[in-house]
Amino acid sequence: MIASFSPIWWVDVAGSLLMIIFAFISLGYCLRLRRLDAADIVINYLFWVCGALSVFAISRSVGHLLKQMLLLAHREALWLSIQPISGAVNTCTFIVVASVTLFFERNWKIYGTIVKDRHELEVAHEKLLYLNQHLEQLAENRSAALVASEHKYRQIFEVSKDMILVTHTDGQIITINPAGRQLMNEGQDSQTSVEGKEFQQFLSGPQDWYAISRQIQINGSIINEELDLALRDGTRRRVLLSGSIARTLAEEAATFHFLIKDIQQRQLMQKQMAQADKLASIGEFASGIAHEINNPLGIILGYTQLLLRSEDPAADQYQDLKTIEKHVQSCKTIVEDLLNFARTSAPSREKSNIHAIITDTIRFVRHHGNPDAIQIETDFSTDLPFIRMDEKKIKQVMINLLTNAIHAVGDEGRIRILTRLTPSGDAISVAVADTGHGIPKENLTRIFDPFFTTKPTGKGTGLGLSVSYGIIKGHGGQIQVDSEVDKGSIFTFLLPVQPVISAR
Amino acid sequence: MAPLISGHISGWIKALYSRCGPVICAVAGVFFLSASPVLATQGHSGIEGVWVHQFAHLFFLFSMGLLIFWLRRAGLVKKTAWRYIQNAAFFFIIWNADAALVHFLEEQLIAVEMTMVGGGQVRIDLLRGSDWISVIYYLGKLDHIFCVPAMICLMLGVRRMLADHRHETAARGEIP
Repeated sequence: MIASFSPIWWVDVAGSLLMIIFAFISLGYCLRLRRLDAADIVINYLFWVCGALSVFAISRSVGHLLKQMLLLAHREALWLSIQPISGAVNTCTFIVVASVTLFFERNWKIYGTIVKDRHELEVAHEKLLYLNQHLEQLAENRSAALVASEHKYRQIFEVSKDMILVTHTDGQIITINPAGRQLMNEGQDSQTSVEGKEFQQFLSGPQDWYAISRQIQINGSIINEELDLALRDGTRRRVLLSGSIARTLAEEAATFHFLIKDIQQRQLMQKQMAQADKLASIGEFASGIAHEINNPLGIILGYTQLLLRSEDPAADQYQDLKTIEKHVQSCKTIVEDLLNFARTSAPSREKSNIHAIITDTIRFVRHHGNPDAIQIETDFSTDLPFIRMDEKKIKQVMINLLTNAIHAVGDEGRIRILTRLTPSGDAISVAVADTGHGIPKENLTRIFDPFFTTKPTGKGTGLGLSVSYGIIKGHGGQIQVDSEVDKGSIFTFLLPVQPVISAR
Repeated sequence: MAPLISGHISGWIKALYSRCGPVICAVAGVFFLSASPVLATQGHSGIEGVWVHQFAHLFFLFSMGLLIFWLRRAGLVKKTAWRYIQNAAFFFIIWNADAALVHFLEEQLIAVEMTMVGGGQVRIDLLRGSDWISVIYYLGKLDHIFCVPAMICLMLGVRRMLADHRHETAARGEIP
């Protein structure tokens, strides 16, 4: 095959020159890089590659150029003597480039690790330097933060209205907050220490502590467990207990942390609300019945009275009609009481003095068969304002309460009537307290129910307290009872100073 | 302790000599008493240099392939500088393959012979094989079209790396 020599020649000569130029430019860049960071493994690698390739470019290109020149000068023998040297140098440069490349990845990884470690050391060094320089300030800041934190949590502990309690696992009290101490010492000196005592002493149930501690040990915590605390004054208090086990650095052994919430008032309120709901339902029911019965009773009474006019009073039929009239009147009274309980008619309010009403009522009761052995005492507050109320209805309430009190004390006893302005000043309270036989606990929730009575048949209709309840509610007030068997009862009703307009 | 060990070793040598002594003496006699060429140092004339050079080309090629593999695995080719260096490695692979092929045809297989015939012409005599080998050989002789781009890519890569390095140094607020 015959071919042109010029492509080979030109590519060879130009390529050789370009190889030298670019190899040395690359080497120059590498040298500049090395000046910036002589320890960088990547720069060193590139330096070795570029250096070897520069040597290769010189060796090979000079060799090729010499070859071309010597061949043109017909000095082949001289070229043959130089050729092995050039080839050997080329071989060496290949091996150098390949070798550094082969170990580049491993070196690079090691270098990466070194750089990372160096960086971490530098960061640690900087931190140490900073800490050394600012140790005092840091300690002060830290102390201030700790004090603030301690103060914050101490405040929570101190001002909490719920009991916060820390005990050993055997129940021995380590610390307790003021609210807890106050609850435990209810009725006693609230500052008396309870630390060191066993928490189980304050639990009403003998098995309560065992159950609580067992559940905490098994589950790690106990949540919203309802139980009764036996307080120092002998009373019981319904509480909601949550607790957990904790182990802190300061305390070697595990401790129990409790949060105890007093729910006595809440439960009482819930009961009162349930009672109010029940009475409202009964009221609606009673009102419906009373309306239906009232009309036929009116007709019966009307016709009876019409017949009475035409009868001779001496006749037997006249007496029969009178009996009918009497019982119909009695029925009408009951129906009216039911309607009063259901508060179907709005009270006609006028500004009145409650003390005058109470005095009138006492006089009325004394006049109607109050045994002399029963003392009725009054303790009137002097700063009560006149309030708007239906005088007749409030009198009816007072008569009902006094009559009940007289029945309760029996032949001998004491009835006390107190009036006060509530601390908030928005209502007056009237309390009728007796030293009678009291009301059993199971009856307390039913005393305002219509037709509920503990009196013998024929002695009472069981509507007195229901009617009173309806009247007081109609005035926007409240009526409640505290009673203890064999010690007596206190009926208290509140009347608002600014009367609330009843919804009914 | 030392006398004990040395005594133990000398005892072992004595036992070996007593068992193998005659055989060792016979082999030494064959080597030292018979007439033969001196082969103490191996010669490296002839084709051996070409083989070494070819191995160097293959080693270079292999290392460049490995470099590309590492660069891609490490994700470094996302950076422009390393991408240039990857291209350089790719051209070096082609160049090494080309150079190794030409050396093989010319000096190992001795399949072609190129002679100047004057008038700016060369004659390529095919000593063995097919006609296309002459064409391959002729084109293969133009190996600079692969190694020069490789060198350019390497230069661009290093230059970019220098620029990046300076930029990072400036960004850190240091004097480059």
